[in-house]
Amino acid sequence: MSPNKSAKRPKLSREGFWGQLHYFFTRAITNIRQNMLVNILTIGTISLAILIVTLLLMVYINLERATDQWSERVQVTAYFDSELTPQELNALKTKIHSIQGTGKVVYVSKAEALQRFHNRLKGQDALLEGVTANILPSALEIQLDKENRSSDALKAYVARLGKIQGITEIQYGDEWVKRFNNFMDFMRLVGILLGGFLVLAVVFIVANTIKLTIYSRKDELELLGLVGATRLFIKIPFLIEGILQGAIGSALAIILTTCLYLGFLHNAGNFLSFSPAEANLVFLPLPHLAGVFLGGILLGFLGSLTSLKRFINL
Amino acid sequence: MIQLHNVFLSYQKEVSALSNINLKVAKGEFVFLTGISGAGKSTLLKLFYGALKPDRGQVLIDGQNIIRLPAAQIPYLRRKVGVVFQDFKLLPNRTVLENVALTLEVLGWGKKDIGKKVYHILKQMGLEHKINSTPLRLSGGEQQRVALARALVNDPKIILADEPTGNLDEESKSLILNILKESNIRGSTVVVASHDKRLIDNCHRRVVILDKGRITEDSDVPK
Repeated sequence: MSPNKSAKRPKLSREGFWGQLHYFFTRAITNIRQNMLVNILTIGTISLAILIVTLLLMVYINLERATDQWSERVQVTAYFDSELTPQELNALKTKIHSIQGTGKVVYVSKAEALQRFHNRLKGQDALLEGVTANILPSALEIQLDKENRSSDALKAYVARLGKIQGITEIQYGDEWVKRFNNFMDFMRLVGILLGGFLVLAVVFIVANTIKLTIYSRKDELELLGLVGATRLFIKIPFLIEGILQGAIGSALAIILTTCLYLGFLHNAGNFLSFSPAEANLVFLPLPHLAGVFLGGILLGFLGSLTSLKRFINL
Repeated sequence: MIQLHNVFLSYQKEVSALSNINLKVAKGEFVFLTGISGAGKSTLLKLFYGALKPDRGQVLIDGQNIIRLPAAQIPYLRRKVGVVFQDFKLLPNRTVLENVALTLEVLGWGKKDIGKKVYHILKQMGLEHKINSTPLRLSGGEQQRVALARALVNDPKIILADEPTGNLDEESKSLILNILKESNIRGSTVVVASHDKRLIDNCHRRVVILDKGRITEDSDVPK
């Protein structure tokens, strides 16, 4: 056995890309098995951190959805001086539809307007004595597209609508729309700030947890370098570990969110005055779930990558 | 195999760890580095496996100048050098088999070949029955032999041992020294840093004495 015999070493176990990948995966899984407690703590921290983000995301999505529904009440009512024939009405509707941003257009006849009046003053019928449908104007109620519900867009829309012949008066609750939009902008800003800080906190917590995991194995990193391992050989199993930790952590967070959502839906009727089914609470859509899962993987990968830089200095 | 020319090294600007070191160790030689604690023995060994670079001077290991060696090439240099560390550097959560196998895994050996080779070397060390134990369950002498097995398992060209017999009983000392001698007979160049005067005297090999980072004596002739 001469010392140079190492040059005639047996066939390498990890020849080719797949051979190497197989080796590094096996190594990463063995490492997780050998450092089970640290890995359980890391995965637990990651899943709790991602769970908070996921819950916030779900609240945000439901709020956005609710505001969308509320903003459907932003509508423009157009009145005309004389009663229109069906042909004139159709022509007018066509003109209105040609304005960009027009959604649904509903005709409210004099009779229907009186009926609404009656409904609003239910119990005070005496007030409506002598009121006939003829004194009420017929109108067109126009709902706007989602993109045209802001205060400025609404004003621009009304200006274009006013140019159509036959329309004498337009009502659109300018002040209400302004306040509603201001409130929603404020809520969005609060949401983005809160979400931003939360995501930063999660990144910080996860990166530091992974750093501690790697710090606890700094002797192993040092030794690998001393026995002739290249930087890549040392890093890859740790990076795969980070990816696995992120993947398992985010998958657990998604499962926990699903359980909380289902549990909440199931029991909500018992302890809340409203049913989430009626309130139409929705779960996270598939692209968001995929985003959370991939985000977890990315977090694990980047957490490992940045931590390794501190400890690998061959 | 190892050549140092006018090597100077200091850890901090004012504290000189090595000063004007000139040393040649030929292929197949067995050399003891000795001196009191802090004389520079471990620092010198660290130069040999590229853990440190000198402030001045040249260090050639197996024909490679480590000053000019890019960082990415250091691992390949270390594969030719087996190091036995003073503190063993065994991984406590891995078995003896896994600890020794590390050196071969880095080289890309297959699992079966690793198993055979590790068993073979542990048998030479008299540790084959401890193959599945973790280092914490071993005695000091056994841990030292595992560290030695890890350094020798790939038949390196150079073997460096930092105080390999420190705190060991006479029987373990003798066993470890014999293993190092056998590797030397098989062709490895061996450099042992030790302050165990009795061990060095009994061995009858070249002795390099260091004091305050300088070579004060280099005796080729056994005393």
